[in-house]
Amino acid sequence: MKKLLEERMYSLGLLLLLICIAAALLFPDTFPSFANFRQILLNLSTDTIVAVGMMLLLVAGVFDLSVGSVVAFAGCLSAWLMYFLQVPVPLAVAAGLGASLCLGAVNGYLVAYHQINPMIQTLAMMGIVRGLALMLSGAGIQDLPYWFNAIGQSQLLGVQMPVWYMLLVVVVFSFLAQYSVFFRRYYYIGSNEQAAALSGIRVRQMKMTAFVLSAGLAGLAGILLASRLGAALPTLGRGLELRVITAAILGGASLSGGTGKIPGALLGALFMGIVANLMVIARISGYWQEIILGIILIATLWLDKSFQQRYAS
Amino acid sequence: MRLEIEHITRHFPGVRAVDDVSLSVEPGEVHAVCGENGAGKSTLMHLLVGNLRPDAGRIRCDGQEVHFHGPEDAFRAGIAIVYQHLSLAEGLSVAENIFVNRQPRSRFGWVDYRALYRQAGVLLDAWQVDLSPRTQVARLPAAQKQIVEIVKALAHTPRLLILDEPTASLTERETQTLYGIIARLNAQGVPVLYISHRLAEIFRLADRITVLKDGKSQGTYAAAALDRPALIRLMTGRELPASQRDGRPRGEVLLEAADLRGKGFEGVDLRLHRGEILGLAGLSGAGRSEIARALATGSFTAGELRFRGRPLRMAHPADARGIAYVPEDRKQLGIFPGMSVQDNLLASSLATAWPGRWYRPARAAQMAREGQERFRIATPSLAQRAERLSGGNQQKVLLARCLLAAPELLIVDEPTHGVDVGAKHDIYRLLHALAGEGMAILVVSSELPELLSLCDRIVAVRAGRTVGMLDAASASEAQILAMIL
Repeated sequence: MKKLLEERMYSLGLLLLLICIAAALLFPDTFPSFANFRQILLNLSTDTIVAVGMMLLLVAGVFDLSVGSVVAFAGCLSAWLMYFLQVPVPLAVAAGLGASLCLGAVNGYLVAYHQINPMIQTLAMMGIVRGLALMLSGAGIQDLPYWFNAIGQSQLLGVQMPVWYMLLVVVVFSFLAQYSVFFRRYYYIGSNEQAAALSGIRVRQMKMTAFVLSAGLAGLAGILLASRLGAALPTLGRGLELRVITAAILGGASLSGGTGKIPGALLGALFMGIVANLMVIARISGYWQEIILGIILIATLWLDKSFQQRYAS
Repeated sequence: MRLEIEHITRHFPGVRAVDDVSLSVEPGEVHAVCGENGAGKSTLMHLLVGNLRPDAGRIRCDGQEVHFHGPEDAFRAGIAIVYQHLSLAEGLSVAENIFVNRQPRSRFGWVDYRALYRQAGVLLDAWQVDLSPRTQVARLPAAQKQIVEIVKALAHTPRLLILDEPTASLTERETQTLYGIIARLNAQGVPVLYISHRLAEIFRLADRITVLKDGKSQGTYAAAALDRPALIRLMTGRELPASQRDGRPRGEVLLEAADLRGKGFEGVDLRLHRGEILGLAGLSGAGRSEIARALATGSFTAGELRFRGRPLRMAHPADARGIAYVPEDRKQLGIFPGMSVQDNLLASSLATAWPGRWYRPARAAQMAREGQERFRIATPSLAQRAERLSGGNQQKVLLARCLLAAPELLIVDEPTHGVDVGAKHDIYRLLHALAGEGMAILVVSSELPELLSLCDRIVAVRAGRTVGMLDAASASEAQILAMIL
């Protein structure tokens, strides 16, 4: 019981299970089908990949609001290179990813080495990068090469590739965060940055690395999304940053840093995806979805605090 | 006001922080409560002002029993407290801080700044404090901030003033200001309850003294009836432990600083040998902590620092392999509060001295257990969150953390700050054992008896400079004081 309340992964996992059982009983024809779950996972693959990076940042006590713009930019840059300059697909994809890493490095450098508030820094970057994406793609670029579209549209074992990429990212980063000495240090940085520095952890370098990794994941998500849609739109990933932060916080992260596990990002995104899916099945208007998600977020944190306080006393 | 405390008791898990303490504060007197760190002084204060509820016992104000449910209640009853730690809004002016939350209003409900500054000016003059009400608090030195804090309490015209170690950061000039304030309060019949462990101040100010030790009252005495050794005996319950450093061999020079300069210090010369415990003595604010930190982290601007005979230029603590540092400010700089005891123990090892790239849970648990056993850290489990440990155990965690990374040089700032007596002795014993194994240890402490019993040699620091070196075996407190004052 204690573990259940203290560890968000368990409580959220259990809640998810209960919701799924209830939904399966309520909508036996529509909810518990392979096709439905495939669709849920596909819909949340972009968010989850970005949420893994955000989780890492939140563990280190920072966050990045520009990830949504980076998603759009990475797709648009690759598409622009392929469409206008006939750059081969692998090179264009590599350029999109590389540019994302650079954007992360700029954020990370200014936040970590020059103590610019991450909120301000990444808010500014969010606008700048969105503008760059617009400049590159105008109203959007279609008719992308076959092999580019194949990245996100092909299937393995009846499931679309973005879902597999998402699972791969979650598994790899979960393992790293749990078992590599390098990633373990992020928990110390988020818990007490000054103490971490005095213990000998290279705080600034590591923070910058987190921004770079997170932006890289956002770039990957952007390329997968553009490929899946067969079009690079400058509006891709609009509002994604807040959804992703919500998912990470539902999954156990805290804005004050030091807590959260990578699989929590997947669970948080899954929770939001299933709730959204249920509302579609139940024919609840789209307006209600955001209202209900907001209420769920507040309720989760409030319950968490009151459980912890009761448990502490 | 007459304040009476009767048989008050408060438990924390595992300890009786305050155990059946009674005392009374009479109108117009200065009543000092003194005791070692961890004797229960702060807990008693928190009980008095309602931050904590007593498990048993009564508090009476002017004969009437009171139950405070928070500092606001105590405030309304006329009890004002000045905490050890500052709680000022740095960005605001002195006047706005003094009248926090009750600024004079104009007819329409806006803040009336002219009246605010005028009233604050009148108040500052009345207490003969030489400060401008318009100055931004952030621009004041720490000592003057402390005075602002006190004036803020006085603005409520309290009937009892509690000062929790108020001279912790005061210079001579502010100390005089404070003494003046206390004398005027007493003349008005307002008593002052004065918490301190600075004996000189206690004897200068107090009419009566209540001594606490391990949460129990050792009795209340007229200040005139006690002298310094008698008070120390009451506080410690024993003579100071004899030095244990006999016969320890001293190795080669490990660390050597020549004319080191940096923020808060200039002109530091010292040498530290393997197997030696070197003390750094100085008044608070003399730069001893800054020096310790510079040696540990390389934050100096000029001069030369040699470690193992080679010049050391560190850009960052991570480069200081072989040097471990336990800072004074445990909460701010040391503990990872939300993380487990195990994670806290392994922080330094993970940062610099972990074998390999992967975190192996079994190995981590075993290392943490070794640290826990060697340092006798009292915790229900290694998964306990570090913030729930007592100060003494947190300090042991910090020391153990450093030593798990196997350093050659250990720099400890105030090793026994806020640590209870039992843990204190554990820490002394360990430091001696480590030095015996050949580690070089630098200890900064504001407690001279601690330095005398712990160290081999003591370096005196005054105004950011090293001014001399004493052999601890033959030195006396008076000798050190003469050098650092």
